[in-house]
Formats: sequence, C-alpha cells, structure tokens
Amino acid sequence: MGRTYLWLLQMVTGVVILVSLSIALVSTHLPVVLNLLGIDAIGQVPEGLAANRAHPGVWAGMAGVLVAIILYHALSGLRNTLVELVPSAKKARIISWVIIVSGIIILMGTIYVPVVLFSR
Amino acid sequence: MTEVKARQVTFKLQRYDPEQDDSPHFQEFRVPASRGMTVLDGLIYIKETEDSSLTFRASCRMGICGSCAIFVNNYPYLACQTQLEELGSDRLMIKPLPNLPVIKDLVVDLTSFFDAHQSIKPYLIGHDKEEMENPTSEFVQTPQELNEILQFTNCIKCGICLSACPTSASDELFLGPGTISQCYRYCADNRDDGERERSPVVAADHGIWHCHLAGACSEACPKGVDPALAIQLLKRRLVSQALKPGRKQKPASVKPHHQS
Repeated sequence: MGRTYLWLLQMVTGVVILVSLSIALVSTHLPVVLNLLGIDAIGQVPEGLAANRAHPGVWAGMAGVLVAIILYHALSGLRNTLVELVPSAKKARIISWVIIVSGIIILMGTIYVPVVLFSR
Repeated sequence: MTEVKARQVTFKLQRYDPEQDDSPHFQEFRVPASRGMTVLDGLIYIKETEDSSLTFRASCRMGICGSCAIFVNNYPYLACQTQLEELGSDRLMIKPLPNLPVIKDLVVDLTSFFDAHQSIKPYLIGHDKEEMENPTSEFVQTPQELNEILQFTNCIKCGICLSACPTSASDELFLGPGTISQCYRYCADNRDDGERERSPVVAADHGIWHCHLAGACSEACPKGVDPALAIQLLKRRLVSQALKPGRKQKPASVKPHHQS
C-alpha cells in the first residue's frame, strides 16, 4: 500500500503546484492578465498589494511549503523514472536513499533563501 | 488459355538460432498468397516447402490459444487471425514479440510473463476455505456483477499487450498490462476475497503505478480486451482501499441448497 500513498501524494502535490502557480502568476502579473482580457489595468493595480498586506512570516512559510511540495513531486517523479530503468531491487533502494538525502539537502538550502528574504 | 498468376507476398523473417548465430538476421521467402490466407498459413507454407528449420509457435489456428503472437510490420498480431489481405502490403517483416527474450526464430521465452501472471494469484480466493475446497452450492452472480469483469475474462495470455507496452520496453521488471488487468479481473469478481493478497504485489515497484497510460495494450489486444481500462479501475480500487482501509465489496451470495 506504501506505493499507493506515494502515488496519491504525487497526484495531490501536482494539483497543489498547478493551483499555486496559477495564483502566483495571476497575483504577480494581474495588470497584464486584465489587459489580456481587454481591461486597461496597467498602472491601476498596485503591484504586490496582497504581498504587502501579508506578514512576511506567512510568505516565508508558504514559500517553504511550496518548495517542499515541488521537491517531493519532482524527486518522486525522478525516482520513478530511474527505478523503471534499473532492473535491480538493490540499486532501486540506493536510488531511493540518494534521492531522499538530496531532497533533504535541497529543501534545507532552498527554504533558507525565502526565510532570509522575507525576514528583512 | 491464360494462366492467372497467384499474388506473391514476401515474408522477411527474423532468424536466430542461439547455437549457430551471434545475432539475429533476416531471411526472405516468397509465398503464393490466396484469398483468406493468414500469416500463419504463410509461415506453415515456408516451413513445409522452403525451410523446415523455421521455428514458430502455433496451436489452435482460431485465435483462442494465443500461441502464435508475432510482430508483423512492427505491430503485434495473432498470426492465425491476421489475413494477408488486411495487412495491405506485399512485403511483411516478421519478427518475434519485442520486450521478451528470443529462444529461436519467432519463439520468445514467456517465462517472465507467466511468472508475473502467477504472482497475482490468478484464481478465486475465498475467505471460507472449506467452502472453496468442498463447495456445497453455487455462488449467485447477477448479470451486472458479471459484466464488470466479463471482457477481462476474454484474455488469452498471448503476451501481445506486453509487447505493445512502452513501459515494458523500458522496464523489464514491469508486471505488464495483462497481469495487472487480470489482477483487476479477480479483485473485482464478487466471488473473490483475495484483494489483500494481490494488492501488495501490484502496488509495489514495477507495478501498477508505473503504467504511463499509453493505451497501446488496449489498441493491440486481438481479443478486444481493454487492459488500460482495467488498470485504471484497479488504480481506483487501490486508492479507495488506501483511503478507506476497512471497505470491502459486497460478496456474492450462495445459492440456497435445495433438497431433492
């Protein structure tokens, strides 16, 4: 059943990434999006309005969670691809551990950046 | 009197004898084609008249046994139910099924295919062992319950789905569409109670979650079975089981035993 949960989690993280990226794109480029819809909003909508209202800690936390979700989704997909090419259970275990350790190292490194940025 | 010349079809066959050849090579034969002639008829003609050492599998000649599955013009077919006319070409490149090791000429080693099939326990597993071994009466299955699994019972284990599957091409340990669809066939059968024994096998690495949903298995199946659908339905069952572990399908009732 373990693989079923991992697959389910990959699907869920995929949807979360899609929704989060859509929100990020719209909130970052709202005037351009409105302009595409025929509404002349360039210069009308204050840039980063929502971001300015929110507590920096909230943004840092959200960025951290998003990084973790993206990392899980990407590394799980990478593991699946590599395991498919390796016809050995021992090598598959080594791949899994290398990916888990790399994931933790990348997560720690990438979470540090938003924490520093939003803590200023 | 003018003589009507029979249409000639060129069979370009992949030959390989591990005792003599280092690698596979091709050999061409000309076969006089007649109306209704199948690829298997052509192979039998070559074996009987041209080269008796040509090796291929065949048995029932009516698309039931699944022995004669081969690769014709880069697509898997059952040789016995594929007529030369429907291929629409006078040149046929015939090779053994891909994704399986070749034993000789067009014969592949299906051991891994049947080992995978055996691993999912392809038979009804009942919770009442005594009733399964010494049945006192028959199970009652409605037409609707039968329809859920009926098309998947038509599988003849020819291995064509495995040879068409792109995942099997890259992952030699992949269970394969045939095995996974048969797992669904038994798990969805309301007379069966063996889903817990089969789930760990199909939900492991190289199992159901590695299916890319290319659909090539369903397109190639000579019996019209839709293994890709069975795989999706089994995925749904596994996810449902993972989210609601205690949930079980309604078991088939047992027909009351009438005293005569």
